Amino acid sequence: MAVLKIGKVVLKSLFKKPATLMYPIVPREWQERTRGHIEINVEDCILCGICSKKCPSNAITVDKGKRTWMIERMKCIQCGSCYENCPKKCLVMRPEYTAPDVSKTVDTFDIPAAEKKTAGSTAGGGAPGCNAETCIYCGICAKQCPCNAITVDRKEKTWKVDAEICIGCGVCVEKCPKGSLVIK
Amino acid sequence: MGKRTIIPFGPQHPVLPEPVHLDLVIEDEKVIEAIPSIGFIHRGLEKLVEKKEYTEMVYVIERICGICSFGHGWGYCSTVEGMMGIEVPERADYLRTVWNEMGRIHSHLLWLGLLADGFGFESLFMHCWRLRETVLDLFEETTGGRVIFSVCKVGGIRKDIDPATLKKIVEKLNGIKKELRDVLGVFIDDSSVKSRLCGLGVLTKTDAEGLCAVGPVARASGIVQDMRLAGQGKYLDLGFEPIVETDGDCYARCKVRVREVFQSIELIEKAVERMPEGGDIAVEVKGNVDGEFINRMEQPRGEAVYYAKGQGTKFLERMRVRTPTDANIPAMVKILQGCEIADVPMIVLTIDPCISCTER
Repeated sequence: MAVLKIGKVVLKSLFKKPATLMYPIVPREWQERTRGHIEINVEDCILCGICSKKCPSNAITVDKGKRTWMIERMKCIQCGSCYENCPKKCLVMRPEYTAPDVSKTVDTFDIPAAEKKTAGSTAGGGAPGCNAETCIYCGICAKQCPCNAITVDRKEKTWKVDAEICIGCGVCVEKCPKGSLVIK
Repeated sequence: MGKRTIIPFGPQHPVLPEPVHLDLVIEDEKVIEAIPSIGFIHRGLEKLVEKKEYTEMVYVIERICGICSFGHGWGYCSTVEGMMGIEVPERADYLRTVWNEMGRIHSHLLWLGLLADGFGFESLFMHCWRLRETVLDLFEETTGGRVIFSVCKVGGIRKDIDPATLKKIVEKLNGIKKELRDVLGVFIDDSSVKSRLCGLGVLTKTDAEGLCAVGPVARASGIVQDMRLAGQGKYLDLGFEPIVETDGDCYARCKVRVREVFQSIELIEKAVERMPEGGDIAVEVKGNVDGEFINRMEQPRGEAVYYAKGQGTKFLERMRVRTPTDANIPAMVKILQGCEIADVPMIVLTIDPCISCTER
C-alpha cells in the first residue's frame, strides 16, 4: 500500500510555472484555426440570404428591404456553416472570441446599395442572360449556382434560368469559362 | 428494522456536474431503493431534424454532449452516410479515428478529475485537468474548437491535419505519458483512493449482462464488449484488445478508464503511422435522404445507438440517439441498492453520468 503517492507530483509542481494563464493581464494566444467570431465584408455582400438559411441556430438575419445583415452573437455557435456556403465568400471566421457582455448583442451591418462589382458583371440584382453565340453549354454555371436556378441541356443546346429562384449573386458570371453570361 | 425514509438526492448536488434526481429510500444508513428521474435539461435536439437540413444537422447533433461531441458528430455522419451509401475516403476515416481517441483521452481525464474531486482529493483533480489541457490545446490547433469541434461532415471531414501537426500530436501525447503515469498511478496505487473505491458498488457480470450495461461499466464487470471492434472507422485495421477488469466495483471502473487513456495514446500513434499521405478528405454529397439506418458506435462512456429515417427530402423524418448513460442508469440503480448513503455520490459518479446526453 502506497501512502502519499501524489507527493512526488505535488513537489515537482512546486518548482514549475503556474499551469493557468493570468488572464486578462496575459493575453490569450489564438490558434490559426480557432473559430472565434464571424465577420462580414459588407462591400461584397449581395444579401442573398444563403448564410441565414444555412445557419443551424438561426443567428443570422438578412433584410433585403432595409439592406441590413444582422448577427446575434449569443446565438452564433461558430460552426462555420455560413462562410462555407457563402457564394461570394464575404464572410470570414476570425480567431478572437467576442468580448464578454452583459446583454445579448445583435450586430447590424448596413450593406451599401451602390452598384456592386461582381466580377465580370455590369450590375448586381437581376437574373443573368446568356449569349447563345459564345455559350458552349458546359454546365459549369448550373453546377456552381447556389440555388440551382440554371438548367443547361448539352444535347438540346438549351440554357434556361428561373428568374424567380435566381438571387443575382453573379457566381455563374464569375465561373463562366467563355464569359458568355452577363447580369442584366 | 429501522424506519424507512425518502431522501432526495439532486438535481443539484456538489458531486453532480449535471442535474439528475434520485429518490433514495433509506433504512437507517442503508439505501433500500433508488428511484431516478430525469428531464431537467431536455432540449429537444432530436426534433430539430425536421427543420434543419441533414447537412447542417451535424452541428446540432454534436452539441448533444460537450465531452464526446466528436463521437456524436461522427455517429450522426456515419448513420447518414450509411443511409445514402456513401464511402468515406480512407484518410478521413483515419483522421476521425485520431480525433475520436483524443476525445476519449480528454473525456476520461475529465472524469478521473471529477472522481478525485468527488472523494475530496483536490490536488489530484487539478493535476488531471492540467494534463487534459494538453489534449484540448491540440484540439484547438487542429479543429478550431476546444470542446465542440465541427470538423465532421456528411461525406468526410472539413479540415485536414498536415503531417507536421500529426507528428506534433504524437510527440505531445508521448511527452505527457510519463506525467500521466505519475498522476493516474495515484488512482491505482494510493492507499486512500483504494480504501475509498475497492469493493464499493459491485456490479456482477450477470447483472451487467441482464441490465444491458455498456462501455467501461460493462468492461469493469468482465464483459468483453467494445463497439469499436464492430467495424467503426479504422479500428479493425489498428487492432486492439478491449480493456477488461473482473471485479465490477468502483475501483475496477476507475482502473478500466485509466488503462484506456494509455491505450488511446497507442491507438493514435498507430493510426498516424498507417495514415495514407495526401488524398481526399471528403466526398461530394448530393441528393436527398431516404430510407432507414441504425448505427452503433463506441463513445468514451460506452455504446451509443443512432437511428435515422429519411423521407426523400433534405430533412430527416426521425432521428434517435440512445446514449451510453441512458443504458447505464438501470445498472446504477441496481448497485445503489444496499449501499451506504455516504457511498451514493461515488457510485453515481463511477458510471460517468452525462445527463445532457441522456436527455438531448
